[in-house]
Amino acid sequence: MGTILIVAEIQKGVIREASHEIANLAQKLSGAGHQVKSLVLGKGVRALAEGFAKKGGGDVLLAEHDALANYNADAWTQTTLAAVKASGASLVLISNTPSGWDFAPRVAAALDAAFVSDCFGAEDAGGQLVFLRRIFNGKLDARVKAKGDVAVATVQPGATSPFEGSTDGKVTELEPGIGECKTKFVETRVAEAKGVDLTKASIIVSGGRGLGAPEKFPELLAPLAKALGGAMGASRPVVDAGWLPHEYQVGSSGQVVTPKLYIAVGISGAIQHLVGMKGSNFIIAINKDPDAPIFEVADLGVVADLFEIVPALTSAVTAAKG
Amino acid sequence: MKILVCLKQVPHSDARLDVAGHGKWIQEDNIKFEINSYDTYALEEALKLKDAGGAEVVVVSVGPARVTQALRTALGMGADRAIHVNDPAVEGSDALGVAKVLAAVVKAESPDLVFAGLMSDDGNFAAVPPMVAQLAGLPSTTAAMSFSVAGGTVTVERELEGGALEVVQLPTPCLIAVQSGLNQVRYASLKGIMAAKKKPVDTKTAADLGVADAVGAGAARTEVEKVYVPPKGKGAEIVKGSPDEVAKKLVGKIKELGLL
Repeated sequence: MGTILIVAEIQKGVIREASHEIANLAQKLSGAGHQVKSLVLGKGVRALAEGFAKKGGGDVLLAEHDALANYNADAWTQTTLAAVKASGASLVLISNTPSGWDFAPRVAAALDAAFVSDCFGAEDAGGQLVFLRRIFNGKLDARVKAKGDVAVATVQPGATSPFEGSTDGKVTELEPGIGECKTKFVETRVAEAKGVDLTKASIIVSGGRGLGAPEKFPELLAPLAKALGGAMGASRPVVDAGWLPHEYQVGSSGQVVTPKLYIAVGISGAIQHLVGMKGSNFIIAINKDPDAPIFEVADLGVVADLFEIVPALTSAVTAAKG
Repeated sequence: MKILVCLKQVPHSDARLDVAGHGKWIQEDNIKFEINSYDTYALEEALKLKDAGGAEVVVVSVGPARVTQALRTALGMGADRAIHVNDPAVEGSDALGVAKVLAAVVKAESPDLVFAGLMSDDGNFAAVPPMVAQLAGLPSTTAAMSFSVAGGTVTVERELEGGALEVVQLPTPCLIAVQSGLNQVRYASLKGIMAAKKKPVDTKTAADLGVADAVGAGAARTEVEKVYVPPKGKGAEIVKGSPDEVAKKLVGKIKELGLL
């Protein structure tokens, strides 16, 4: 029996979907005797707090301050600590987003609390909180137990569906207690106009580190993409290595694509890549490792040497077009 | 300027991942290890500052004897000296325990900058760097895609979602956790490897750092109950045959989808 505190996140003027997903997770845990409360922080966000109180947030602590106008690690940490104190929370849930992973560990360290990141599930096993998360870039899963009185966990966006019911929470103002903020927000830069807009392509042929060398993209992958009338994409390691520019990157930090056909070549399928392409209508994966996570999301898989399969496929596609 | 770089040695990206007999981690005997990929970008950024105008680059790692190899590699790439927290008492620590050790090193060394990787390739926790900053009283930022420092102010472009960036500024001393792809990581040259043999590696215990009570499984706030191969879903239908046979079957499917 304890209080679960949701730290809601506002993006583009609304409470983001990930916060509604946490609300769902928290409300499920509340069945195990926990009470759900939330923190909504920002500037001029009372209406959002009122709305969230009715949609899974429960009783909402509303913290408004000039220092909360834009995300700031120091202000977010201090305000969350004030909310933990005010709510008596024994579990703090934060989305594993670029702001969440930035300040959540600081909150846990300040509380000397258990910290579990990027969970896709949580359960109360007889008063003991257990979190499920991926490790080794998705190759293994782990069950992690939280010990002590307080736990802080970040939750993977998209891991659960959003809360659909209603709650009758009230909004109370919280004095955020913000002191010195050493980190200063300067500006947000939106993604530059892309030379390659993969989001509009109906067929994408993407290559990963399995191609082994940058020249394999024009030599091997581009001809297949061209034969299919599709676009070429890449996984993050390829872009990190400088083989292709960022505009080709498919994944959570690149482009999120939903083509009719996605062919993943030599891509093992790290979570951040899967997030960017699992919405594709049909997925073909070619990889020599039968255990590659990409085969879990693919419709058709080929466990073989891509250097043999891709040229054969390019020829067959060309022949089929007559 | 003094720069501290936090390095973790992790199982090699090509290493076999077998769950150990006790079920709580992978079997680590007889597998290859390497420097965590994110940390190599952190080290490179520090070495770039050293190249540009003279900084002392100190690398620190927590772990058993095998970690010496990672530290030697870092020294070979150009780091000046290394601190190895090698203490059986630290085994079984969680992220917070390791962060307490590293925060003690930060306090003892008083660097102007601390660099770390965004996350580790094994645990994928992304917890230690901001924890170290919090415990050492430093400002921090994560997922740095660019870095510059001038007149005691650090400017970083943080990676957000969908290719967007957030520009933040922090005063030194501060901690920066870098995203992969921040720079092009150099290799250790033969000359560098030879020179590294003469560079100092300072070995410490948790007690030396005054954090003996904060480490080990007993002090940990989290416990890995078990690790396991994720339950398989339906998975892909596997197409078998010679390359030409496979290609023919794939083309058949693509036609069926109305895309050819």
